[in-house]
Amino acid sequence: MKMRTALLVAVLLVASACGSNEPTAPKTITVFGAASLTEAFTQIAADFGDQHGTKVRLSFGPSDGLATQIQEGAPVDVFASASPKWMDAVEEDPGVTDRADFARNLLVVITPSHNPAGVDSVDDLGRPGIKLVLAAEGVPVGDYARQMLGNAGIADAALANVVSNEDDVKGVVQKVALGEADAGIVYRTDVTAAVAGDVAVMEVPNDVNVIAVYPIAALADSPTGSLASEFVTYVLGPGQTVLRDAGFLPP
Amino acid sequence: MRRRLPTAVVALAVLAAAFVLLPVAGLLARAPWERTGELLTSDVAIEGARVSLIVSLGAAALSLLVGVPLGLLLGRTSFPGLTVVRALALLPLVLPPVVAGIGLLTAFGRRGLLGGPARAIGLELPFTTAGAAIAAAFVSFPFIVLAVDAGLRSLDTGLEDAAASLGASKWYVLRKVTLPLLAPQIAAGAVLAWARALGEFGATITFAGNFRGETQTMPLAVFEALQSDPGAATILSLVLVVLSLAVLIALRGRFVGVGS
Repeated sequence: MKMRTALLVAVLLVASACGSNEPTAPKTITVFGAASLTEAFTQIAADFGDQHGTKVRLSFGPSDGLATQIQEGAPVDVFASASPKWMDAVEEDPGVTDRADFARNLLVVITPSHNPAGVDSVDDLGRPGIKLVLAAEGVPVGDYARQMLGNAGIADAALANVVSNEDDVKGVVQKVALGEADAGIVYRTDVTAAVAGDVAVMEVPNDVNVIAVYPIAALADSPTGSLASEFVTYVLGPGQTVLRDAGFLPP
Repeated sequence: MRRRLPTAVVALAVLAAAFVLLPVAGLLARAPWERTGELLTSDVAIEGARVSLIVSLGAAALSLLVGVPLGLLLGRTSFPGLTVVRALALLPLVLPPVVAGIGLLTAFGRRGLLGGPARAIGLELPFTTAGAAIAAAFVSFPFIVLAVDAGLRSLDTGLEDAAASLGASKWYVLRKVTLPLLAPQIAAGAVLAWARALGEFGATITFAGNFRGETQTMPLAVFEALQSDPGAATILSLVLVVLSLAVLIALRGRFVGVGS
């Protein structure tokens, strides 16, 4: 799973090391992205970096945790959230510019590849004895998953089956890929090449699925100014191909 | 007799004290005191404290169970490979806890080496309180091994020899002479093991997951709260600070600072 403690510590160290009154080197920008963006944004950042001769530092985690870190003063130039809720929070404090939705995502149910519990439909998630792993409440994919279970009318039964509330979506993927859980609810883009062999994917019917909307914005107090805006523009432009390849839907 | 220290040393010592005090002061300054009552009586806090107590005490008990015999073996016997076994016994102290968690999964997880046999006897560890206690015990039992091992080295063997020469069996000597003599060290080791178990985070969240009332210990609750409600996280953190300080003050170095 993602070792977010280390991440947080790293961020705090960086925060204390370069403080807000000491401008970041203009040729480096820092991007905070929702955990589900890990693979796509790593690619986009590399492409952007090559084109602009800049270094893009990336930090991935749950959108709620990233929003908190930003509000605590982490020196961030661009924030990409898996939910408008946490972008709203950051827009309010400390403030953003160039906000735009750049992608959408759908939920899927994943099981270990041999599907030990025989989970074949969303309704099966409410069957007694299933070990279900979700992201914690507050984490966008955790909230979306609960909403989806509600749409399917099995919220109570399924939530009774939850054995762990992971701190981000990648934690859910890992617990299922390791075969410790019978099923998990993640974004379809989380079934990356790295885990595709370990998990089986079950589509969620459109009438119960929840569409996740991803907003991106430059932080208003970013000392890199236009470079942060350029990164946002890049994600909305050339970056779309990478996002499509990764399975994201257009905004 | 007390000797005077060079001023520079005193100054550095004051800095060191500040190093510990400042983060605590930061927590105190940031805590949303007006929400204290509400937060302390919340499900998260109560369930977190309950799970933490069960897990840390269970881990301390497990640590004693495996740590004392291993400490005796290391301190009292000599065999080829002793150095390697001693290093292995201390490995969990040095390993990053998340690595310990992955190791535990590969050993006791569903698909782990012992996962099959464990399930056959109805023992499932991942996502259970027992699993959280195992994770905490794994990282904390070396404290007891160390304590027993070190205690044996400073132990006067005369009493044991006397008991043995009077015809006492090995088991009798161990129970009536050796272990009582080692009691202070074992107690000190147990307290350290308990404290380490109370603070366990990485191995627990990796191996046992994070579920309120089951595997969500206080540190996990603090971490989850930090994501969306930092105020709640500071109050929960202070609960841990107070609890840890209370234990240390109650002990007054009685166990930890033996001989002082």
